[in-house]
Amino acid sequence: MVERDVRLFFQYKFLIIMRAIWFVSQIAFFGLIASRMINVTAVPDYFRYYVGGLSVMTLYSAAIFIGFDIYEEAEHGVFEYLLSLPVSRQQLVLGRSIGGGLRSFIYVGPLIAISLYVMGGLNPIAFLVSLFALFLFSFGVAGMSITIAVMIKSSDRFDIFMGVLDALIVRLSTAMYPLAIVQAANPVYGGIASFNPVSFAADLFRWGTGIPQIITFDNPLLPLLGIVAFFSFFTLFGVVIYGKRIEGGSWQ
Amino acid sequence: MMKGILHIVELDFRNFFRYKWWLAGLVSMNLADLFIMAVVYNHMLSSTVTNRITSYFNFFAPGLAVTGLFASAFMIGREVNMERRREIHHYMLSIPISRYELAFGRVISGGLRGLVYMTPLLLTCFIFVGFPTIPQLLLIIFTLFLLAMGISGLSISIAVSTSSFEKFVTARGLVYYTLFFCSSVFYPLFLIQDLGQSGQFPAILVIFAEVNPLSNASDMIRSFLMGTPAFSPYWILSVAIFTLIFALTAAFAYIKILAR
Repeated sequence: MVERDVRLFFQYKFLIIMRAIWFVSQIAFFGLIASRMINVTAVPDYFRYYVGGLSVMTLYSAAIFIGFDIYEEAEHGVFEYLLSLPVSRQQLVLGRSIGGGLRSFIYVGPLIAISLYVMGGLNPIAFLVSLFALFLFSFGVAGMSITIAVMIKSSDRFDIFMGVLDALIVRLSTAMYPLAIVQAANPVYGGIASFNPVSFAADLFRWGTGIPQIITFDNPLLPLLGIVAFFSFFTLFGVVIYGKRIEGGSWQ
Repeated sequence: MMKGILHIVELDFRNFFRYKWWLAGLVSMNLADLFIMAVVYNHMLSSTVTNRITSYFNFFAPGLAVTGLFASAFMIGREVNMERRREIHHYMLSIPISRYELAFGRVISGGLRGLVYMTPLLLTCFIFVGFPTIPQLLLIIFTLFLLAMGISGLSISIAVSTSSFEKFVTARGLVYYTLFFCSSVFYPLFLIQDLGQSGQFPAILVIFAEVNPLSNASDMIRSFLMGTPAFSPYWILSVAIFTLIFALTAAFAYIKILAR
C-alpha cells in the first residue's frame, strides 16, 4: 500500500512541478521582499525565519493530497479493487496513512535541502530530532486528511473545507511569524497558534537548523510532544474511521 | 452583436454561480489573509515602512481585492480548457451566434465574473480603509473591469494553447506566482525598487513589477483611499494596454481553436 501511494503521487508530475515553482517563488520573491519590511527588533532575520516556515507549509499541503486520492479512487471504482487485494483492512488503512505521509516527506526532502542551503545552518543532532518530528507531522496530516475525506462524502466540499482549513491552520501558526508577535496582535490568535501542530513543526524545524536568530524556544520537548499527540490522534482516529467507512460500501 | 454576447455572458454567469460554495470558500480564505495575516504583519513592520504606508492592514486590503479579482477572472480559462478537452466547443459552434460574439462574450463574461466576485472584498476594503469619492469609485470600477477583462483574456489564451488540464494548471501557477509576487499586491513597490538599486533583485523584475497591472490597479485604489502613493494616470494606461493585448489575443486564439 505504501509503495502504491508513493508511486501514485509521483504520477502527478505537473502538480509536483507547480508546488516546486510555488516554493521557489515564495523564497525568491515573497521571502526576499517581505523581509525588507520587517522590523529587525521584532524578528532579527525574517528571511531565514520565513524560509523555515515555508518548508513546513509545503510539507503540510503535500500531505493533505492523500485525501484527494481517496475521492479519485471512489469515483473511478478503484476502491473495490483495493478491497479485493489479499491485504487485511488494518494493513490497507495503515498503509495509506504511512504512504500519504512518506510520499509528502520524499517530495519535500529536496525542498528542505534547498531551505537549508538558503538558510545556511545545521545542527546535526537537533536536525535529526526535528526531521523525526516532521516525519510524524506529515503522517499526522495525512491521517487528518484521510479522516476528513472519509467523513465528508463530496469531493467539492472536501476541496473547499481543506482550502479554508489550510488558510486558517497556516495563518494561525508560527509558520510565517513568531508567537510573541501573534499574541501581541490578537490573544485569541496567539492562543490558537500556541497549540497548532503547524507551529510545533515550524518551530522544531527552525530549532533543528541551529540558527540562533530564528530559534524561538529552549526546550524542544513540548513541541515534540505536541507533534506526537497530533500524529497519534489522527493516525489512530483516521485508521478507525477509514476502516469503518470502507465496509459495506458506506463510502459511496 | 450585443444580443449574442449577452447570451454568452448569461451562460457563463450561470456556470459561475454553480460554484457558489467554492466561491464562499475562496472569499473566506481571502478574508483569513486580511484579518489574520495582515493584522499580525501590522505588528512587525519596520518604522521606515510604517511611515510610508501607515498600516499593513490598510495597505494589503486593496491588494487583496485585486488578488480576488484575478483569481475569479482567471476561472473562465479553466472552463474553456475543459470545453476544449471535452470538445464541447462543437456544441458552442452549433449555437446561432457568430464566432466573434462567442469569443468576445467569453472575455467579457470572465471580466464581469471577476468584478462580481471582487465586490465583497472591495466593500470590506472601503469599510476598513475608507470610502472614495464618486468619481474615484467610478474610476476604480472602470479600471478593475478593464483589468478583469485582461486577466480573463490571459486565462483564455493559456487555456486554448494548453492541451491538457495539468499543463493548464502548471502554466496558471507560473502566471499566478509571477504576477502576484512580483507586484505591489503584498508589499510596497518602493521595496522592490530598493532591492533593484542595491543589486539584490534583477532590473528586469523591477521593471516588470512597475508595469504589472496588478501593481497598477492596487496602487490606484491605495492612492484614492490612503493618499499614497500619488495617483498616476499612467496606471490606467498600463492596465488598458494589458487588456487590449490579452483580450484580442484570447479572442483570436479562441476563434482559431473553434475553427479547427
